[in-house]
Amino acid sequence: MKGITPVNFDVIIVGSGPSGVSAAFPLLDAGLSVLMVDGGHTPRISPPAGQFLDLRRHDHNQWRWMIGHNFHALKQADAVSPKLRVPTHAAVFEDFELKNRIIAGDFLAVGSLAPGGLSNAWGGGVACLTDSELANFPVKPAEMRASYSAVARRIGVSGGGHDDLSDFFGLDEWSQPPVPIDDLQAGLLSRYPTYRQKLRKSGFRLGRSRVAVLTVPIDGRQECNQSGNCLWGCERRALYSATDDLGLLRGRSGFQYRTEFLVQRVVLRNGSVVIEGNGPDGGFALQARSVVLAAGTLASTRLALRAIDHRVTVSMQSCPTAAFMLCVPKQLGRPPQSAFGLGQLSFSLDLPGGAQGFGSLFNSTGIPVTEFARRLPFGKRAGVDILSALLPSCVLGNLFLPGAMTDASLLLDAEDRLVVRGNYRDGVELMMTAARRLLAASFRRLGAFLIPTSFTVGRPGSDIHYAATLPMTAEPTLGQTNQYGELAGASGIHVVDGSSLSALTAKSHTLTIMANADRIGKHIAKKFATHAANPTPSN
Amino acid sequence: MRVAVTGATGYIGQRLIRAARLAGHEVLALSRRPVTEPTVAWAHFDLTDTSPLSLPSDIAFVFHLAAETQPLLVRENIETRAARRIIGAAGAIGAGFLFVSSQTSCANAPSAYGRIKWQIERLTLEAGGWVVRPGQVYGGPERALFGMLCSLVRRLPILPAFVPTPLVQPIHLDDLVKALLACLALKTPAVLCVAAPQGISFEAFLTAIARERTVRRQMIVPVPRLLILMVSKLLGPKLSGQLGLTQIRSLFALRQMHTTSHLQQLSLELRPFSAGMTRSGRERRGLLREGRAMLTFVLQETPAGVLVRRYVRAIETLRSPQALRLPELVLDMPNSLSLLDGAKGISTTFQQELNWRLTAALMLGEASPQGACRFLGSAKTISRFRSVMRITRALVTGICLRALQRFLRPWLSRFGRQGTYR
Repeated sequence: MKGITPVNFDVIIVGSGPSGVSAAFPLLDAGLSVLMVDGGHTPRISPPAGQFLDLRRHDHNQWRWMIGHNFHALKQADAVSPKLRVPTHAAVFEDFELKNRIIAGDFLAVGSLAPGGLSNAWGGGVACLTDSELANFPVKPAEMRASYSAVARRIGVSGGGHDDLSDFFGLDEWSQPPVPIDDLQAGLLSRYPTYRQKLRKSGFRLGRSRVAVLTVPIDGRQECNQSGNCLWGCERRALYSATDDLGLLRGRSGFQYRTEFLVQRVVLRNGSVVIEGNGPDGGFALQARSVVLAAGTLASTRLALRAIDHRVTVSMQSCPTAAFMLCVPKQLGRPPQSAFGLGQLSFSLDLPGGAQGFGSLFNSTGIPVTEFARRLPFGKRAGVDILSALLPSCVLGNLFLPGAMTDASLLLDAEDRLVVRGNYRDGVELMMTAARRLLAASFRRLGAFLIPTSFTVGRPGSDIHYAATLPMTAEPTLGQTNQYGELAGASGIHVVDGSSLSALTAKSHTLTIMANADRIGKHIAKKFATHAANPTPSN
Repeated sequence: MRVAVTGATGYIGQRLIRAARLAGHEVLALSRRPVTEPTVAWAHFDLTDTSPLSLPSDIAFVFHLAAETQPLLVRENIETRAARRIIGAAGAIGAGFLFVSSQTSCANAPSAYGRIKWQIERLTLEAGGWVVRPGQVYGGPERALFGMLCSLVRRLPILPAFVPTPLVQPIHLDDLVKALLACLALKTPAVLCVAAPQGISFEAFLTAIARERTVRRQMIVPVPRLLILMVSKLLGPKLSGQLGLTQIRSLFALRQMHTTSHLQQLSLELRPFSAGMTRSGRERRGLLREGRAMLTFVLQETPAGVLVRRYVRAIETLRSPQALRLPELVLDMPNSLSLLDGAKGISTTFQQELNWRLTAALMLGEASPQGACRFLGSAKTISRFRSVMRITRALVTGICLRALQRFLRPWLSRFGRQGTYR
């Protein structure tokens, strides 16, 4: 282990995902010196270029980005999500549990060590929390709003327009025009106005999805051309990934970046904070005035709990998920067409008990037919026969319930491993049934039929949205954070990723995390602005 | 260790010296013609030599493989004299001695070959050496008796099934070589019989050669042993030898060897015969057939060669390099895989492996232009009616298959019971 180097950074950010980069910008704007580290696995396979359907019909090398030259997709054949089978994203998910010493039982524990974190393989959904939803947070809505604005403008969001979900998403004013939707979903949307009153009364509202996908180019990132490669990797960089911001940051003075630096411990020492871990040259220990934990909920929580030696279970929130398939009979016989592969239409559901569910609809073309054929009860050959005729007229949907509906917990054990446990609460089954009925009834009016037995509830943890393990509260106790994400009992350590959210709603939470990180970054910058910063970083 | 090998250019000898080198031994090859193997020393050795022989003193072990295999040139006195010579040379330097004999070795064997082997065995045992009796050696280059059988199979219009069936106990060339090297670690001299414990019928042996090494699929015709014996007597020893009838008569005279305990002594596990018979000695051919069947099932048309090879590579890398124990019917009619796919009652390990491989075939098959045609359907619009008809037909087929699977359950449950792999 190298000796501890003298304090040479103002802030060290652990993690180069969406929250890490969002915290970095305000710090650099204030002239502070920032070091960002991540556990770094860089992707080795480039995403496909061209229209998905064209590539499928003509490219003899498609197996390399669909299966992988080392058969990654086959190795992951039993994984719960198709994303985990994508070869381009293999590096994103690799080794996360192992290197972070995480033990998960039945709960699906997924995270990323790669530059850009999970934003390399996300669905792009963005949303703002309403003021009433922010009531649970010890933050000033105006501050959050300012941060939402800054982040949304920086990353580029689209989909805004005057519809029934404008208030739900709350970001139309910063939004680019929506990505064109396919004719299947356009048909559904066109019937919505006729039944709008009835549907709203029953608790169903439909609108366009708001996603972090460009329809107007920004800074070297191209606009979406509906190639349909979304699942396999966006070669045009229309879909936001934190690696885009990482690129911007690396050009700024005062910013240093180290990859393959796996942080194992964060320690408070004599008024400064030290991170210890393993790098490509062996062990390291680096000091800074403040450390920002942005390594993702599981990894950050582990580091935080170690820092304060808190070996009691902390509760975690995670959204129960479900997936379903709708058939639009009017469109039977339609050939498959390349279309945008992320959320095109979204819906919100008012469910019993005052809970709100949220979901989106997706075009199925970009997803391998095998994903569905495997799960049909008719054998593989009949399955493919059925799906090749049926799928082009089908729409996929997902559903999220509020995060409080999962009873999950994390515990730092005596050997410094993070033990993850989680299960759905009792009310989830009933709520899912109610949701299914509401969805079936609502979509029937719009001309789509929920295919029987297609509504499948996901495994606990399959949302990969876990959050709120070290929630921000006004009067934090051990295991909680204050309004600026500062860990109780460890001033100098700020938690800015999903761990510090006070509550997890059914809405997509990435933009909220990023806005929170931006807000906290601004606070740290202000705090340090009053002290003189050391402007010469040395290693 | 430094070992000497006579007959180093022969069918077994060549393999032995290579394996000995790989195992880290130094090798002195003894043969009539120089050996071209790098890092292997060579000295001239001829069975007909009578001059005194002295081996380098650092040789620790001698393997005596040299023998005249041409039946007409076999001369009893030459071979036994040569054996005495080499045994003496080994004894002079205190080296261990091993003689590779034959399953036909017997005091009153019908062939001179068998009788000579017997005599040399006795000389070896008297001098405190080891004797290894291999069964029917096969595999590797087509030489010696194996080579003769291969060329026979290539030329014959039919494959003879002798009645009553003679049994052969096969042993793969590389397994035999492994056994010989394993003897270096033994302490007490012994006679070791090295072959598959269970015999297989001679026509099964020939059929395997036909299947793996030729493209011919001949008819199997029963041939009474008596006929061979009569023809052989009529033709006389010279012609019989030329046509291989003498060797076939030795085949009839083979006695079963009990090899299990000897194999245990050597800690040797023999590869399955079907695997060993393939050109590479591995199961690739079987996997290629399996891949072709799986992908034909998935794509509903002949798969491109590159897809089949990709499947094989995937299975070899991620699962076991062995092919599934699928019946010939399924391999020739791939659509019958529908009956096995998801059927209840089949042995669990077999079903799991089958399911994994089917899913792999599905994924690999889809990720190709051929797959795109099949999985994505037509690029043109079709009428709603036709689409509904297609879906209904597929649904009905699926349901009927499930019903058929339930009906055939007692028959299907036989699958996988004898093992998951070939």
